[in-house]
Amino acid sequence: MGVFVYLPLVLPLTALPMARLAEQHLHPRSATRLLALVGSTLALCSTLCLALLMVVGTAQLPGNPLPDGWSDPEVRAAVPYEEKAGLIAIGVLGAVVVACGSTLLRHTRTRIRAARALPPHTGSGAAGDLAVIPSPDAYAYALPGGRGRDGRVVVSTAMMECLDVHERRALVAHERAHLTGRHHRHLLVTQLAARANPFLLPLRTAVAYSTERWADEEAAYAVGSRRAVATAVGRAALFSHRPPGPVVLPAFAAAGPVPRRVAALLDPEPPAGLWPPASAHLVLAAVTATVGTAASALSSLNATVTLVGILHAATPL
Amino acid sequence: MNRPTGTDDGGTQDGPRLPRRGQGQLESQVLTVLRSAGGPATAGWVQEHLDGGLAYTTVITILSRLYAKKAVTRTRQGRSYVWTPASDEAGLAALRMRRVLDGERDREAVLARFVSALSPGDEARLRELLSRADDGADDRDGSDGSAAPEG
Repeated sequence: MGVFVYLPLVLPLTALPMARLAEQHLHPRSATRLLALVGSTLALCSTLCLALLMVVGTAQLPGNPLPDGWSDPEVRAAVPYEEKAGLIAIGVLGAVVVACGSTLLRHTRTRIRAARALPPHTGSGAAGDLAVIPSPDAYAYALPGGRGRDGRVVVSTAMMECLDVHERRALVAHERAHLTGRHHRHLLVTQLAARANPFLLPLRTAVAYSTERWADEEAAYAVGSRRAVATAVGRAALFSHRPPGPVVLPAFAAAGPVPRRVAALLDPEPPAGLWPPASAHLVLAAVTATVGTAASALSSLNATVTLVGILHAATPL
Repeated sequence: MNRPTGTDDGGTQDGPRLPRRGQGQLESQVLTVLRSAGGPATAGWVQEHLDGGLAYTTVITILSRLYAKKAVTRTRQGRSYVWTPASDEAGLAALRMRRVLDGERDREAVLARFVSALSPGDEARLRELLSRADDGADDRDGSDGSAAPEG
């Protein structure tokens, strides 16, 4: 297995140029799906290799639960690189499991609590999924359904009041797009991927942004006005999230997600196809990410096969 | 003269002593009981009608917390307060929702929110974009979103 078992741990870095460029050059739907796929593959490979290293690491432990033959000197000699790394991998894999577990737990708990907080489903036709909460705090979000519950769109009255009629329709269309597109799955997958390998954090941010853009585009299509969605996003953000501190000139800070969304909506609709690529940079980034993902998959496959081979030879398993 | 209403700091001292029911659950219970009174009620009355044997001070604390959240109103009657529920079922939903949203540590993590927080530079940038959008409009009201009250 040698050095190959370490490669998938750092290969997620090859996806970062893609994460940066995809949101500018691809249709948000393609960007979301692509990044979620790449991210989950890289995270799986990385975790698999951690697990392999851990198996090797257990061979170093006296009294490990593996068959006796496993800690024989010959076997140790057959896995030469992983003496310390194996032990470290045990700790790291434990941390990954805990992080992913707590993410899943938090995700489920928040969803259940949010569903409980809602008044019961009115169930009156198409608008039945919309829950308007009388609240002075401005918020709006999509609560995904599951296990017999339908997805709900939750909007506070304060949020409704800061928007005009067109913008309200845009807002609800945006949240419904989240529900019908099952965007939360992409979000959850990339979130878990980022927990499994922190190099994938930028990918998660990119996917969070892309899903919002995706819903924006769907909403623009549904209400037939890109400008209505743009002003809805802009006004809602100005109304609900006052930035702390004095207003600084835009030049001093990179634009946050909300202004980028509004700007993108004020521009013409992005082309939906993946081909032809929008720029040479994008091609380069895509090739890097593809090669990185393929290399990651091959390395972890190679390491797995090697380890299974050793296991087979060394133990009666 | 002053009753120990324990407005703000009350939350810290009674927190760990409460039974293993969520604070929000207690608030909902108290509010439900208060609403069943069909009018103003004293904290003692609420305590009597609340199953679970909560201490009088706890009931006061919860009522005060609800008061801070504008879920109940109170008027002084003699030496103590009488409490009236300010919110209906929908108001209670708002209360619970607020708690869920506050409890969500990673804002964007679970519930796909319509808008995320603005960085300091974003506000000016956003106003500029919105005014550009309004200029491009034919017959819109032309407001630039600057009338946004504080959130």
